[in-house]
Amino acid sequence: MNRTILLIEDKPTLLDTLKSLLELYQYTVIVAANGAEGVQQARLNRPDLVISDIYMPVLNGYDMLEQFKQDVALRNIPVIMLTAKTQIEEIDMAMQKGAVGYVTKPFVFKNLHAVIKKFLQ
Amino acid sequence: MKAQQSIIMPYELVLTSLPLPVIVLLHPQMDVIYANKPAHVLFKQLTNTKREVLLSDIKIILHDICKAKGEGAAPFETRQPIPGKKSHLWLEVTTQTVMQGSNQYSIYIITDISARKTKELSMIQSLEKEKSLHEMKSHFISMASHEFKTPLTAISSTIDLLETKLQMDNLLDQFYQHNISKISAEIFKLNTMLDEILTLSTIVSNNIEIKKQLIDVEQVIADVKYQYFSERKDDRVLNVQVTGTRRKIYADKNQLSKIFTNLVGNAFKYSGDNPMLKLQYQQHQVVIKVIDQGIGIPAHDVPYLFNSFYRGSNVDGIEGTGLGLSIVKDFVERNNGTILVESEENKGTIFTIVFKYAPEITAQA
Repeated sequence: MNRTILLIEDKPTLLDTLKSLLELYQYTVIVAANGAEGVQQARLNRPDLVISDIYMPVLNGYDMLEQFKQDVALRNIPVIMLTAKTQIEEIDMAMQKGAVGYVTKPFVFKNLHAVIKKFLQ
Repeated sequence: MKAQQSIIMPYELVLTSLPLPVIVLLHPQMDVIYANKPAHVLFKQLTNTKREVLLSDIKIILHDICKAKGEGAAPFETRQPIPGKKSHLWLEVTTQTVMQGSNQYSIYIITDISARKTKELSMIQSLEKEKSLHEMKSHFISMASHEFKTPLTAISSTIDLLETKLQMDNLLDQFYQHNISKISAEIFKLNTMLDEILTLSTIVSNNIEIKKQLIDVEQVIADVKYQYFSERKDDRVLNVQVTGTRRKIYADKNQLSKIFTNLVGNAFKYSGDNPMLKLQYQQHQVVIKVIDQGIGIPAHDVPYLFNSFYRGSNVDGIEGTGLGLSIVKDFVERNNGTILVESEENKGTIFTIVFKYAPEITAQA
């Protein structure tokens, strides 16, 4: 059975490309354009894993992580942050707020896939 | 008149020759019993009148000046508008109460500080402008970094998508593989250059913030290894060797991370083997050595190695901006560390960084 990944990213080009890449590796992919949509989709579809950007309109990645943490149904879903932020403090903040891993942009898909596989095991 | 005579007489020569406006008031009516020439000139200016000002005029104006500040407020600074003009004067008022016999006097010395105040206000405005520019710069650097990285990520992901699809369809021959790798490598070079230029611009504009805290160096190295040097396409790895008892140093975590990322990145870039990072906890300091067995640095390049835009004479064909090591040195020194390089051409290079433990850490040891 295919594992379901929720992909949250506000840039349509990147969202589209990543979705296609993940689908080539046989994942079922649900998408959302910001943190608020992400929380909504997670509640509806209960994905096995979430990959999310940090800088997003409506609800950013940090606030989205807070909402995941407060929701009993979502708090155990692993969230990997995909971020252009390279300041360690910012990455630390995401990890403190409940992210299980992070990959900095730009990335090699092989690296992202290794992190995905680690948390889907 | 008798009271005026008694206080003024002994000092009249001094008071008359003083360049500062001086006014003497007699309690309890607070009548102005004396005002020297500069005081008359100042109050004439304040009333914007052509006629000579009388002591009774000075009494009224001085009362107004002091009323706004409250009794006993002097010394104080005050901004006095000039009637009928759009201008104003800044005054500094100081006062002294003197008892002579049964009479009490207040002596007011009023200084026109308009020139100084104008300079002060102009400096405050400049500082505020500078602060706002400083904030704009910080914001721009952060925004530029994010905005440049988004299209770079979209390009690199699209290349990954093409490569994966070609591979899955058994169409990825050597030609495609070679050229896709070239595009991919250039994207990451561009990203590194972007990071280095942005970091250097923050250093040069003195916009860099340093947030020192107790840091576990070993953890920073583990994070750097995971984030930047795991899952390499060439399968090379960074070997980390730790000796001594784990202790923390007082440093900026972000800068420390950039130091190790750069040195280890160089060790991979300029060698074909697995680089080694040795972390030695000594009695008073931690010593970190980044070792590679690569192309080395020619002796004549070593003195200039940490200069911005300087690159070794043997690195033709290997990408780089010449900014990395100057950033490393700046960050090491900002964190009170030292950096040394030992190198031999075609044998390899060792960068040694030393950070002393924070004083309280040594004391606990």
